[in-house]
Amino acid sequence: MPDDLAIRIEDLSIKYKINVDTKRTLKNALMRASKGERVRMRTVEAVKHLTLDVPHGSVLGIVGANGAGKSTLMRSIAGILPPTQGRIIVNGKISTLLALGVGFNPALSGRDNIILGGLASGMNRAEIEAKTDEIAAFADLPDGFIDMPVRTYSSGMYGRVAFSVAVNMTPDILLLDEALSAGDASFKEKSFTRMRELCNEARTIVIVSHALATISELCDTAIWMHKGTMLAKGKPEEIVDQYLKFLDVGTLPSNFEDM
Amino acid sequence: MSANDSTSTPGFVPRIQVFEPHRASLPPLIPYFKEFWRRRVFASELAKFTDKAEYLDSKLGKVWLVLNPLLLAMVYYLLVTVLKGGKQHNGITTLAHILIGLFTFYFAQTCITSGAQSITSGGRLILNQAFPRALLPFSSSISAFQQFLPTIPVYIFVIVLGKFFYPNTQVPGFTWAFIWVPVVVALVGITGFGLSLLFATMNVYFRDTNKILQYFMRIWLYLSPILWQPEMFHGWHRAVIYLNPLGPTLSATSHIWINGQAPTLAEILGMFGWAIASIIFGGYFFISRERDFAVRI
Repeated sequence: MPDDLAIRIEDLSIKYKINVDTKRTLKNALMRASKGERVRMRTVEAVKHLTLDVPHGSVLGIVGANGAGKSTLMRSIAGILPPTQGRIIVNGKISTLLALGVGFNPALSGRDNIILGGLASGMNRAEIEAKTDEIAAFADLPDGFIDMPVRTYSSGMYGRVAFSVAVNMTPDILLLDEALSAGDASFKEKSFTRMRELCNEARTIVIVSHALATISELCDTAIWMHKGTMLAKGKPEEIVDQYLKFLDVGTLPSNFEDM
Repeated sequence: MSANDSTSTPGFVPRIQVFEPHRASLPPLIPYFKEFWRRRVFASELAKFTDKAEYLDSKLGKVWLVLNPLLLAMVYYLLVTVLKGGKQHNGITTLAHILIGLFTFYFAQTCITSGAQSITSGGRLILNQAFPRALLPFSSSISAFQQFLPTIPVYIFVIVLGKFFYPNTQVPGFTWAFIWVPVVVALVGITGFGLSLLFATMNVYFRDTNKILQYFMRIWLYLSPILWQPEMFHGWHRAVIYLNPLGPTLSATSHIWINGQAPTLAEILGMFGWAIASIIFGGYFFISRERDFAVRI
C-alpha cells in the first residue's frame, strides 16, 4: 500500500450474529432445545462493501444515524472485530477511545487506571509510567482526584481521564467514538488543540460524532454512512449539509437512490 | 489480531497491521501467541491491580491470604479431629490429606470461577482494545496462583503444629518426591486455565453459566479424592479418579505430601493428559469464538 496512507479499507463487509432472546441463559437454551426450538439469532450486516483510503495527517469524520455501522467500522479498524470479507490495512500505532473508560476498575485510583489502560494498549510498564504524569496533568482533575478511586469521579472527570489516556499515547492513528461529549467547554477547547497538534505531527484521527459542529470544525474529510454503506464522501460542510437535509426530510436525496 | 510485522521493532506493536477474515473462524495462531506472549506483563499487572482493588477496602488486607487457609484448617480440624471423637490412631493425617487436597482444588477452582467471569466483566476493555482475549482468563489464573502460594506455608505450619500435639501424625521427611510439587502445581494451573477458557466462553453466550458453575464446582469437589482417600477405590473403580480432570493431580498431591512418594506412572499420564486436553480443547473453543466477544458483551 502507498506510504502516505494510514488506513486502507478494501471492500470491507462485516456481519455478525446476535442472540435476540431476552434471556441469554443456559436454562433458556435448554428449555428451547427440549421443545425442539432453536435460540433466536439474527444476522446483522453492519458494514457492506466499504472501500476507503485515509491518508496520514488527516482527520476523517464519520456521520450517520444510529445503527449505520459507524462503531462497527471503528472497531474493525482497531482490530477488535475482524472483517467478514475484505481487508483493512493499518499503518501505525493505534490508540482508541471507543467505549468510555479504558480498562477502568472503579475501586482503583485514576493514576492506577491510567497505568492499566496503557498496559492494555500494549505499552510496557516503564513507558506508561513515564507518561502517567503527563496524562494526569492533561486530564487536570480538581484537588487530588487523580489519586482517589475512580468510583468517586463525576462522569465528566471519568471522560477527561479516558480522553487524556487516548490522546497522550502518541498514537499514529487515533480512533474516537463519541468521545468529545464528556468534558466541559474549556476541556473541549483543550482537546481540540491537542488533536490539531497531533494532526500537525502527521498523525491521523478518525472521529465518530453526532455533534456535527465538531465534525465541520475538526475534520478535513467526512463520510456519511447509512445502513452499513458509505453514501457520500467529501468536504465536511457538504456532507454535514446533506446529512442534515436527510434528517429533516427523512428520505435519501434523489442522487443516492440507486445506491 | 492478525499482524504482518514486516517493519516491526522489537517490543513494539507492528507498524503495519492487516486485518482480514479469519479462516475456519480461527485467527492466525502464530501472531496470536506472539502477541499473547508480548503482552503477558499486562496479564500479571492486571492480576496485581485486581488483587490490590480487592483488598483495598478491607482492614486486614493481604493478611486474609494467610488467614483464610488457616481458618479453613481450623474448621476441618474441628470437623475431622474433634467432632469425630475418640483417639485417632494416625494423628491428624486425615486432616493433612484433606487440607492439601482442598488447597490444591481451590487453586483450580479460583482459576476457573474467576476466569469464567473475566470476559463478561472485562467488557469495556474488550470493546476498546484489540488484544488476545485469552490474556484476561490468564490474568485470573495468575491471581489464583498468588492466592494459592501462601497456603503452602500455612499447610506446613499446621502439619508441624499437628505433629507436635499428635505424634502419630504421618509426616514424610525430606524426599526427592518433593521435586514433583512444582510440576503438579503447574499442571493444576494449566488444567484450571484451560477449563477457565471453556467456561469464560460459555459465560459470554449463557450468562447463567457462572451460577451453575458454583454447584458444578461443589459436586466436583465431592467427587475428587479430597474428603476421601484415593486408596478407597480398587481395580476398575479407580476410573473414578482418572475420569476427573483433577483426579490424578489430587491423588498425586496426596501421595507426595502425605506419603513422600513420587506420583505413579498412571498418575503422571493422567495429570499430563488432562492438562494438555484442557488447554487444547479450552483454547480452541475460546480462540475460535473470540471474534464474537466484542459483539455479544
